[in-house]
Amino acid sequence: MYKLFLTFRYLISKWVAVFSVLSVWLCVAMVLIVFSVMDGFLDNIKQHSRGLLGDIIIDNKTLQGFPYYDEFSVYLKEQMPGEIDVVTPVIYSYGIMREPRTKFTQPVRIVAIDFDAYCEVNDFYDSLYYERYYPNTTSLGPVQIPVAGVDSKGKPFLPQELEEAHQKYLKNRDESKVDKTDFDETNYNSPHGVGYFFNEYGTPAMEGDPLPGIVIGTDVAYSRNKEGQYDRGLQRGTKIILTILPLTSGGNIAENPIPVAMRNVDDSRTKVYEIDKVCVYVDFKLFQEYLSMGSLELVDGTYSKPRASQLLVSLTKGQDYNALQPKIEEVWAEFLGTLAGNVTPIDARLLETVGVDTWETRQQAFIQAVEKEKVLVTILFAIISIVAIVLIGVVFYMIVLQKTRDIGIIKSLGATSAGVAMIFIMYGAIIGVIGGILGILTGTTVVANINELQSWLASLNPKMQVWSPEVYTFDRIPSVVKPMVIFAVFCMAVLTSTLGALVPALKAAWVWPVKTLRYE
Amino acid sequence: MVLARATKLHKSYSLGKTKVSVLRGVNLEVNEGEMLAITGSSGCGKSTLLHILGALDAPDQGTVSFAGEDLFAAGTWRRDAVRNRDVGFVFQFYHLLPEFNVLENVLMPRMVGTSTLDWMSSRKSAIAKAGEILGTVGLKDRLKHRPKELSGGERQRVAIARAIMNEPRFLLADEPTGNLDAKMGKGIMDCLRSLNQKGQTIVLVTHDPLIAKQADRQVRLVDGRIEP
Repeated sequence: MYKLFLTFRYLISKWVAVFSVLSVWLCVAMVLIVFSVMDGFLDNIKQHSRGLLGDIIIDNKTLQGFPYYDEFSVYLKEQMPGEIDVVTPVIYSYGIMREPRTKFTQPVRIVAIDFDAYCEVNDFYDSLYYERYYPNTTSLGPVQIPVAGVDSKGKPFLPQELEEAHQKYLKNRDESKVDKTDFDETNYNSPHGVGYFFNEYGTPAMEGDPLPGIVIGTDVAYSRNKEGQYDRGLQRGTKIILTILPLTSGGNIAENPIPVAMRNVDDSRTKVYEIDKVCVYVDFKLFQEYLSMGSLELVDGTYSKPRASQLLVSLTKGQDYNALQPKIEEVWAEFLGTLAGNVTPIDARLLETVGVDTWETRQQAFIQAVEKEKVLVTILFAIISIVAIVLIGVVFYMIVLQKTRDIGIIKSLGATSAGVAMIFIMYGAIIGVIGGILGILTGTTVVANINELQSWLASLNPKMQVWSPEVYTFDRIPSVVKPMVIFAVFCMAVLTSTLGALVPALKAAWVWPVKTLRYE
Repeated sequence: MVLARATKLHKSYSLGKTKVSVLRGVNLEVNEGEMLAITGSSGCGKSTLLHILGALDAPDQGTVSFAGEDLFAAGTWRRDAVRNRDVGFVFQFYHLLPEFNVLENVLMPRMVGTSTLDWMSSRKSAIAKAGEILGTVGLKDRLKHRPKELSGGERQRVAIARAIMNEPRFLLADEPTGNLDAKMGKGIMDCLRSLNQKGQTIVLVTHDPLIAKQADRQVRLVDGRIEP
């Protein structure tokens, strides 16, 4: 009984214990905040990385791609009808994007997609900006320029098709999800909202030559301000020239670079800067021809097989992509077996390097880099925690030195050495529990309000803006508090505090009462 | 009846490189119910002998038997238990716990010897007993006072109350009046005398012949041995 009694009495009567609680408190809060931000960052990266891929990716990692993708798509669905949902081909290439009006040029990664299937296989649809506010108006097919005019009351008014689409959005929109900084519906030429050409003297109309549509990665063309808002300088329908370099199946340049005139129909923001900064999305069939990856007549009069860079596969609900990846690999091997003897040597070479990956293994390098950063941060904070242990150790050592005589008295009353050690070990554990609880409360409160806190700091002094949306992938500080992390951090707090108290506790246990009681 | 018996006790201390022999073959018997005074000059080993008798210190050689049990043949835990239940110490400098009030100090030996669960059930009776003992030593109205709020005599009476809280068979007092003036010293001796009259075995260490005279029996320690 005396152990509990003495522990609590020392706890409330020793001011020096407050420093131990404070150090544990701050350490726990700090670790929790850092872990939550790192976890949030990692989760966002994972979520968005998957967004533009499918569950399963099939490719040979070359620019010239591989043939028989269409036949395999059909074969795969036949072999695994219950597991495969959508299979869609993608072509990757590189080009130069030029905006003729401003002469602005930029190297881009071309992603040629079948728009509808690509939207089904991943989260691409959700990343589209204009499509969100004007549903079903984004298309990669030939499009004209939508020009806003004014109605009889002088209010800006878009062509009927777009106005109707916007009414649909307004009818179905979820007020809680509306990002006011993202869209200004009162002004078609808002610096941070939608951008449409506007004729203040005319009526709304679709003008200009119909040109293939191009969806631009948001960060390719636009930059963000400090509030994280994009300045959409290119109006919807702006003419874009995309210069491409076709490759033969042997990997040689097929012909001179081809400039393709297109219209900006939308922009895609996956929230992964590395994707949004370089990718533009175009129509698969059109660019398959432009990039010489379609069916071409060969010198012997036969036709080459069309090629795609990649096949993206989405699985039906509830399927485990890790479990199905080997099975799809087997189906691919079977499929190759059915082709044996009927494939040209060049095609055979392209086919033999085709591999089947899950989205996770494909993004592993990127995800692992962030995970390694997390490990690095964990190590840094482990070192800081050691400082906390040392601090607690020093504080307890001081307490033990101050209380040596008391320890002698308690031992003279019959207390065992283990009992005396337990007083200080319990003391350490209680400091860990109190500091841990306070730290978790502080940490979770800070994490829950981290963006508001940052805005407040920035309002005091702009230099205190620690998160720059124009630099980082995400415009808000991502954070997620996981119960397991809270539990682990709390246990670590109690454990480290107890460890900190261990050496002083052992010293207390070794106190020889006669020595301490002989003199005053 | 012999309550405690020390046989051929030897004890030495190291002072730097010098080894100082404090006890050199001490033989002593303490009878149940008696008040024994151990006298001797300063540094002659009186306190060391007292501490060994109370199992607070260990001899280099020799044995101490308490109620027939060889204390130093038993384990540490057994000696801790004996110290808690059968021995009460009163020190020259009182050695009260400063963070605890008078009542809590007196309750401490009971708490040390009781598990948390047992304490829950016996707490009230223990408090009543501590209050009763403090009443007998004249401190009934000082229960909630901290040691620093008491006079030297009062502190020593708290120390006596604490020493007898567990009704030990053996009360060991090390210069109990050494830090008090004559009047307060007399009060403490009256208190000890009264306990002895009720049957309490007391061993008293003092260098004051007047205090020693109040004991039933005196032994003198000279050069680490009991003077014949």
